[in-house]
Amino acid sequence: MRIYVCVKHVPDSAANIHIVDHLKIDESVPFLLNPYDEHAVTEAVALKQQMPDSEIIAVCLGKKGAESTLRSALAMGADRGLLVETDAVCDSMATARALHAAILKDGSPDIIFTGKESIDSEGMQTQFRIGALFGFPVATNAASLDLTAGKAVVTCELAGGRTRTFELTLPCVIGAGRGLNTPIYPTFPDVVKSRKKPITTLALSELNVSAAPGSAKIVAMTPLVQKRTPRKITGAPSEQAAEIIRILKQEAKVLS
Amino acid sequence: MTKKYDAIIIGAGVIGTPIAYELCKMGYKTLNVDKLPDAGEGSTAGSCAIVRAHYSTEDGVALAYEGFKYWLDWENYLDNVTDEKGLAKYMNTGSILIKSDGHDWRKVQKHYDAVGVKYEEWDVDTVKKHVPPIDMHKFWPVRRPEDPKFYDEPTEMLEGAIFCPEGGYVNDPALSAHNIMRAAEAKGGEFMFNAEVVDIRSENGKVKGITLKDGTQIDADIVVNVGGPHSFKVNQMAEGVWEGCNIKTKALRHEVMYCPSPEGYDYLNDGYHMSDGDIGCYERPEVGNMFLIGSEDPECDPQEWVDPDEFYAGKGGPGRDNVLTDAQWKAQCYRLGKRIPSLKVPNQPKGVVDLYDVSDDWIPIYDKSDLPGFYMAIGTSGNQYKNAPVVGRMMAELIDACEKGLDHDKEPFQYEFKYTTRTLNVGFFSRKREINYDSSFSVNG
Amino acid sequence: MKQAGIVIEMEHGRVKETSLGMITLAGRTTESLTALVMDGITDEVTDQLAAHGVHTIVDLVLPEAPEIRQNPAVRAAAVVQAVRDRGLDHVLGLSSPEGKDLLPRVAALLDAPLVMDCVDVDLEKGLAETSQYSGKVMAKIQLTGETQVFGVRPNAVPPEPKPVKADVVAMTGDKAVPETITLVSWDDGDAEGRQSLVEADIIIAGGRGLKNRDNFSLIFECAQKLNAVPGASRVAVDEGWVPYALQVGQTGEKVSPQVYIACGISGSIQHFAGMKTAKMIIAVNRDENAAIMANCDYQVQGDLFDILPELIRQL
Repeated sequence: MRIYVCVKHVPDSAANIHIVDHLKIDESVPFLLNPYDEHAVTEAVALKQQMPDSEIIAVCLGKKGAESTLRSALAMGADRGLLVETDAVCDSMATARALHAAILKDGSPDIIFTGKESIDSEGMQTQFRIGALFGFPVATNAASLDLTAGKAVVTCELAGGRTRTFELTLPCVIGAGRGLNTPIYPTFPDVVKSRKKPITTLALSELNVSAAPGSAKIVAMTPLVQKRTPRKITGAPSEQAAEIIRILKQEAKVLS
Repeated sequence: MTKKYDAIIIGAGVIGTPIAYELCKMGYKTLNVDKLPDAGEGSTAGSCAIVRAHYSTEDGVALAYEGFKYWLDWENYLDNVTDEKGLAKYMNTGSILIKSDGHDWRKVQKHYDAVGVKYEEWDVDTVKKHVPPIDMHKFWPVRRPEDPKFYDEPTEMLEGAIFCPEGGYVNDPALSAHNIMRAAEAKGGEFMFNAEVVDIRSENGKVKGITLKDGTQIDADIVVNVGGPHSFKVNQMAEGVWEGCNIKTKALRHEVMYCPSPEGYDYLNDGYHMSDGDIGCYERPEVGNMFLIGSEDPECDPQEWVDPDEFYAGKGGPGRDNVLTDAQWKAQCYRLGKRIPSLKVPNQPKGVVDLYDVSDDWIPIYDKSDLPGFYMAIGTSGNQYKNAPVVGRMMAELIDACEKGLDHDKEPFQYEFKYTTRTLNVGFFSRKREINYDSSFSVNG
Repeated sequence: MKQAGIVIEMEHGRVKETSLGMITLAGRTTESLTALVMDGITDEVTDQLAAHGVHTIVDLVLPEAPEIRQNPAVRAAAVVQAVRDRGLDHVLGLSSPEGKDLLPRVAALLDAPLVMDCVDVDLEKGLAETSQYSGKVMAKIQLTGETQVFGVRPNAVPPEPKPVKADVVAMTGDKAVPETITLVSWDDGDAEGRQSLVEADIIIAGGRGLKNRDNFSLIFECAQKLNAVPGASRVAVDEGWVPYALQVGQTGEKVSPQVYIACGISGSIQHFAGMKTAKMIIAVNRDENAAIMANCDYQVQGDLFDILPELIRQL
């Protein structure tokens, strides 16, 4: 099987985000493999263990520095990396076009993995756009995957324990959720091995991607700080409980 | 304003609380002020709380060895006080000091002999027997992952280790400071939180008291700077104090990482504290069967000296704020990954970033100052947690002696250890000393 | 005039409150509102929609069989067909669990821009506001393109009455049923978890302070009495007390309920990333110095093992 895994180079979720020019974040913070993409890579590696003659290609659209995220994917078990290099800010429509073109140029996919969303722009849509461009079916927030008889049986999480199970024809696109697996943590010998794995870089401009018929562009950014002024609810536990109920009824108006 | 307190202690971390406790026991009325909401919430909380004996100086070893006795007898030390948060626990794992070019271990061994520290010498096979996943190849010199030579195959083996059966860590360092606070309160000590000191007032060449950010003035004849990473700022507030120190302190940013223990290795229960100069790391077990990985400050690593206020506010920018950096995460995890090849390194950094209050020679300043009545227990350089209870007692006795007329600068105070029979010349920790080149100039002290 | 199509979600045969709130939000910047209904229209549904400003109600008339009707690919194709048939310029839907599997499909099929989890939209200008970077940043996004799709955060605005007269149109005819993806089964989970965290009005969440799995029953019981959805901090999930689906935070669900009651949760930055947009936060904690106590609307200092049973008793 030829397995492609789309990965994104995103700021560390713990980073202090500072905004520059009211328009973008200060990108000098640490960037890492998007956490959901860890599940995508891990699932690809699990498939390869079942089908050892598979090849896993990690694909990333980003700046030169995104190579470190591809290295993370290689240390986890991907075979080679493909960096589509651009300094431009790409929305989901442009990103999907770039990834589609890069994968198409590289080979013919049997399955494409992505994370269910990225923790920076939180767009939740690139997997569907890639699917539409290829004409492949898509399942997102996958919690289990089973490949049998040329089909993918995917259970997807909705919320509150609700799930839906789909059968997808191959090739397909799977958006990995947190429930899919436990991410692989590479050892130092894995890291040493992965240093020998190749990363091919191609400029986005080389791909001749056609312009999308629409766009989503950030025009302003503000830090989200909500100042709350705590008021104390005191007294015996019974009085505190009664006051909570009063607040829920009279102030929040969520209880009748 | 009438003087309510005999002594004001600036800071309620693991050094500030025992100074209060001991002064209270000697009859002083104390007040600790701290800008944070509770005891031990500052750099104490970020401490790895390692309890080990190896230091580069004999006095350093002796002080640490004396300190053990307090941790082993924690309830008694606290005079059986109750703390609603529970008591901190000393976890005795034993301590392995890898014999390497990164440590002057022969000197440490000599000090162990002089002080009477119990130890065994382990050859490579003995180390492997005790730590099954270990690779005892020699990786020296310490490098960074950015350096291609970092990945060179090692060819030589290390010779072994020095093992101290006594050694380990305290499971919750912030709680230990909280425990000592409760013990001090039981003896009449008072604590004031969310109170930031902005000025040290003096009059007629003597300290008079402190001023808080909200304008409150509190007077006392004795003021003790235990400000941790803020110590240099506090010293600068007191007339002539900072200028009168030959050894200065400043705040150094430090990262500590958590990595899960390899499968099949119960590091939490079967593991040891290890100090490994060959890879520039120290490790100890942490809840969740984790390796907690600290850095022994190898020369190739950058040092970030920061403003503590900006740091804790999350300002100062990447590598200077309180968020782990990817580069240092990889450096420390991959270094340990050489020693423990089956160690799994998470893709997302997990750990703690905090500050050391580092002195010019990484040896603390436990001293009076040029301003009568003003004392300091600072420059702990990331290596004094374990000594906190002893230091509390030593500082209290030093303060008492000075207040009773001792000229400590001329005739240094001699501190008698309570458990190990030994006398320590407290002048060793003088602010007036020349830089002590016996020091490791690292967290090892 | 720009035409907005609103994908309606229903529950127990009625339009969800969160869908009505979305109609109110859309009505602020466009006059022409078309509701796209996939789960059957009754008089009650028509009344609800007309009472909130919808002029046209389109019944997409999906096949009866649940495995086809509930297939998000089928639903997306039907929405796209309605968008084309009706000449809609905007599509709005909820960023609910179902919406997250539907709206991106619609946007991909239309090859139209989409912003998910909007807390505000301006349809006239094609602007959306959404939080990014784990809730640390609010971004204003300009959409361009013939059609634009917006996923609206449930409870972003409360519904406001705006009575108008509504026409009902049925969109009969064959529906595209893709052969590449079929819905084979579904599991509605346990009854307690039926309401989703992201759509809840009230969430009552527990953390380290609950101490063990058994004690978590206090949270469940309280949730049931309050008609709230139970949630949890990462510690409670890591310790195995509750399943991951209940986790609120950076790596769990991001919620903005009317009220968030945090019990025995210290309030790490990571937890706040998931709930700091809640309208009201009530913190029940023994430790008055816990971070959450400084960043809430009501602090209830005390033992949750005393307060929660009282709450259950009084409700």
